[in-house]
Amino acid sequence: MSEVSAKSQESVSELLTTFYVGNEYYGIEVMKVQEVTGTPVVVPVPLAPNFVRGLINLRGQLATALGLRELFGAGEGEVNQQMSVVCRMDGNLVSLIVDQIGDVVEVEGKIYEESPETLPPGIRKYVKGIYKMNGTLLSLLDMDKITKELAPNFE
Amino acid sequence: MSFSKEDLEEFKIEANEILEIAEKSLFKIESGVDFKGAFDSVFRALHNLKGAAGMMELTALQHHVHEIETLFMRFKGATAIPKSHVDFFLKGIDGVRILLGGGEISFDYTPPGSEHEAMVEPAVIATEPQLLAPGPITAPAPIPAPESNVNVATAAPVVDSALDEFVAEGMEMIERISKALGAIEKDASSKEGGSKETLNDLYRDVHSLKGASYLFGFVSIGDISHAMESSLEPLREGTHLPSVELMNLLFKSIRFVEVEMDGIKTGRVSEENRASAPALIRDLSIACKNLKPINHGVDVKVNSKPSEKQNVISMVPAQNANDPSEKERDSASSIRVPVALLDNLMTLMGEMVLVRNQVLQFSNHSEDLDFLNLSKRLNVVTSEIQGEMMKTRMQPIGNILNKYNRVVRDLSQELKKNITLTLNGSETELDKSLLESIKDPLTHIVRNSCDHGIETPEIRAAAGKAENGNISIRAFHEGGQVVIEVSDDGKGLNREALLAKAIEKGLVNQAQASAMSEKEVFNLIFAPGFSTAAVVTNVSGRGVGMDVVRTNIEKIGGTVELSSVTGRGTTTKIKIPLTLAIIPALIVRSGGETFAIPQVKLEELVRVEQSASENRIEYLHGAPVFRLRGNILPLVDLNKILGVSKGEFKNRESFNIAVLSADQCSFGLIVDEIQDTGDIVVKPLNRLLRSLQVYSGATILGDGSIALILDIQGISKVAHVGTSKNTGKTQRVDQKSTSDFQEYLLVGLNSPTKHALVLGYVNRLEEFKRTAIELSGKMRMIRYGKSILPILNVSELLGYGSSQAASTKETLSVVVIQKGGVFYGLEVDEIIDTLSTDADVDSELTRQSGFFGNLNTKDGLIVAIDPFEIIALAYPDSAATVKGGVVGSIQAVSKKVKRPLRILLVEDTVFFRKAVTIILQKEGHEVTIAVDGKEAVEILNRTAGAFDLIISDIEMPRMNGFEFAQAVRANQSFSLIPLLALSSRADKKYAEQGMKAGFNRYLEKLKPGLLIETISDLMDEGRMAA
Repeated sequence: MSEVSAKSQESVSELLTTFYVGNEYYGIEVMKVQEVTGTPVVVPVPLAPNFVRGLINLRGQLATALGLRELFGAGEGEVNQQMSVVCRMDGNLVSLIVDQIGDVVEVEGKIYEESPETLPPGIRKYVKGIYKMNGTLLSLLDMDKITKELAPNFE
Repeated sequence: MSFSKEDLEEFKIEANEILEIAEKSLFKIESGVDFKGAFDSVFRALHNLKGAAGMMELTALQHHVHEIETLFMRFKGATAIPKSHVDFFLKGIDGVRILLGGGEISFDYTPPGSEHEAMVEPAVIATEPQLLAPGPITAPAPIPAPESNVNVATAAPVVDSALDEFVAEGMEMIERISKALGAIEKDASSKEGGSKETLNDLYRDVHSLKGASYLFGFVSIGDISHAMESSLEPLREGTHLPSVELMNLLFKSIRFVEVEMDGIKTGRVSEENRASAPALIRDLSIACKNLKPINHGVDVKVNSKPSEKQNVISMVPAQNANDPSEKERDSASSIRVPVALLDNLMTLMGEMVLVRNQVLQFSNHSEDLDFLNLSKRLNVVTSEIQGEMMKTRMQPIGNILNKYNRVVRDLSQELKKNITLTLNGSETELDKSLLESIKDPLTHIVRNSCDHGIETPEIRAAAGKAENGNISIRAFHEGGQVVIEVSDDGKGLNREALLAKAIEKGLVNQAQASAMSEKEVFNLIFAPGFSTAAVVTNVSGRGVGMDVVRTNIEKIGGTVELSSVTGRGTTTKIKIPLTLAIIPALIVRSGGETFAIPQVKLEELVRVEQSASENRIEYLHGAPVFRLRGNILPLVDLNKILGVSKGEFKNRESFNIAVLSADQCSFGLIVDEIQDTGDIVVKPLNRLLRSLQVYSGATILGDGSIALILDIQGISKVAHVGTSKNTGKTQRVDQKSTSDFQEYLLVGLNSPTKHALVLGYVNRLEEFKRTAIELSGKMRMIRYGKSILPILNVSELLGYGSSQAASTKETLSVVVIQKGGVFYGLEVDEIIDTLSTDADVDSELTRQSGFFGNLNTKDGLIVAIDPFEIIALAYPDSAATVKGGVVGSIQAVSKKVKRPLRILLVEDTVFFRKAVTIILQKEGHEVTIAVDGKEAVEILNRTAGAFDLIISDIEMPRMNGFEFAQAVRANQSFSLIPLLALSSRADKKYAEQGMKAGFNRYLEKLKPGLLIETISDLMDEGRMAA
């Protein structure tokens, strides 16, 4: 899968919504993002795994808020203001709680690379690949993997 | 030709509307209702159409309509129009449609009255070049006129959507036709060939189907429906009785149409199906000729003038408005809307409600009378819109149930069985999307009932049953769910046969089989690949059915249950919860959050004052109960179930109890506060949250806040209310949360049982050559990089003795564990696999060092071993804590005087939470749990620090262990409580940081002996300090 995507991305450029979690810089395809909102009111869901911050009322629709810090095991830290990146996946609304929102950036396939093997396993499974930006590395998130967390298979 | 594409489109839409009206009025004329009104309406329609066509310079169309109009005018002043003429005009209207669609028609303008004058050269009407639109249609391909100004590329989608509509409508017609055919067949024996009404409906539908398919160029469907129409003629005219042969052919034909229609929908035409058309048409006409005429005896007119008078006169008298069948047919009063649009409207509706609420809140502070009035009206109107909006998605279940008439009929033919299907509760309403998703599972079940359930007439007769088998489908609301029951009176399920099959398939073993309850046996049917049918028929028996049924039903949050009495029949019960339905609910608050309890589960509300001498909560072996009118009502604390707050339960003055009914019994749910009742819209939750078992959904309340809807069934399960003594099983159920899955490494030791270590503690897995072992004293060592790796034989240390087989192997398998910065190699016989399981670690029976507990997994018992204790067994010195000095084993601890402590355990991982709680509780301590630092602080605040000891994890969400420790030490009221850190990262750096933050001790996780020792140590220190 990654081979194909790498190839197809070679020539084309892509728009990414970027944000920060901890000290890391992340991005997701712009088309997957529905909107970005400020600190939302999150209603916690008791008993849920810790990365599920709770539910958000997004103008009459329910979105599940996922704390990326918790999901990535990025630990605690000085979190002053949090932003919510709302994505629609398989008809479900998912709000990714991030520390800070970045710009929408245009990236080209030629600066794309597979994520290195040595990434911590907790994060590695959510990262599709790396864009080598000027002065910083941007991790492209795999939204499918993240939404899979919301639909565990029991059988 | 100066008209834009938009103008033409508009014209087309209008023209179609006009045609609808004309058609409807023609039917009215035919049925003899309000002739004058209907006649005028048709005339007006034709006239307007002619005018409009002229204006749009569509001369061919104008001409065609003009001809029809002229012929129609002949009946001005008449009181009826002969049926054949009505047909003629209907055909004329079809012609208009073809022209509108850009097609070409050849039309015979000779009215049916002058039939014998033969067909005088049919006039060929040229196509209207403006209306040409190429599409995926095999229509009589028109040649586009060169001066056509229609943009071809953009015109195509219009046709596409029209085609979709055709298919959708066609499907509906097919359904109605099948239904009517079924009804006629049923009546055939009793009455004279079905009721007039049904026949007329049927005829009309077949006719429209014909028209529509020719219009779209689907000649094969058109031809078949034409043949059907012709063969129905004698029935409709009441001259002949339907024969079994004809009915079969009609059913076959409609089957054919359905397959074709599917082909159109999917774009794959079934050649095989299409090839059968000519034979079908031929058979139909033969069957039609062989029909037996009805011997009316007195009715001579029937033969002399068959078509005209009888049909004109014998029509039903004026229908009243509330005739449901009329309503159904009234197509102009309903429109087709994409579901996505409804969804959007729903969402917008939600937003509107929120705005309304804000306006209302704002108006509370306003003195402006006008504004107050306006906001009140806004309130009322919004509520009404909301109510109506909700209804748009609901559809009667009959829409899909009727389909099974056909399924059962076809199957009983195919299987040579007599089966009658009865439908009940067709009016039960269900969300449209749910309807779609239960269609296939239901088909499976019905087919199964036909194939496996109902026996052949011979067998039935031999068993003393009526030859005719019955299948009934019943739909109804029950307990906030929609229940669909499919029952047959067939042979039922055979326990022995099922078990034999299950054993053969290796699903269960002999011992398990004999212990299985009836219900469990029946549930085997849902196992993948399971089928008891001796012969695989093409109807069912391939064993792919029932597990798919269950998967699909569970996908929408429903359940399937099976019950059966051997020889008497089987009942399959599908329960579908109400998603997207509105349910009345009670809103309660607990632990600072808002929850909704479905009203149907609520029996009553009770408020208990503990100060009262009677009617207060009592404790039965520690479990709270309440005497409700003499009966003991088990109580469940919602806060405790949800883990939102604990510890203060017994101190409360008064309690709010919601008495709820779960599956088998009632129980009382203790909540903090009871708020209000109201209708809520159920919004489904994602799988992860559903899997927590305690929520059935969520809802957005009037003020925009969110409330989780409690799953009462689930809560009763989690709380073990009304469950059997089989606690081992229930515990596993309530544990089924994702975070409960713990990864283990499975290893083989010199023991038949598999052993497991928590994977997180494994540093590396190594294979060493036996020759690499060197001896240092009695200890075996292997040089490992720069360091030396001591090799410990786990089998020996655990008392299994070293295995012969493993020691002859050339290599040895080693699990490398790091402890206190030193690597140790644990030699095992074999490294098997990793295992992810949610099974509980049961350390109840484990008293031996080195063992952590037993895992009850699907594949049998697995022993969890504690690598650190094993190392400690071999090197007692290494068991030192970071602070050093304390060596512990449980035996040593147990000698000390124990004092039960109130311990606050702060831990986010469910696995460790359980594990540590078990260890502590075994020592007799009372454990309160917080899932992170923040919650722990809240608990401490609430309870004013009523704890003897706090044990905390380090890595936690929201507030980690270090922050938590600082927070505790910073607070006057509980700064003196001893703090113990329990972390998986126990190296020096973290330990120092922990001490700095305020922890008294810093321990590694999963070392029960050491933990207990340290606790008593800490307590001693505390006592001495005091």
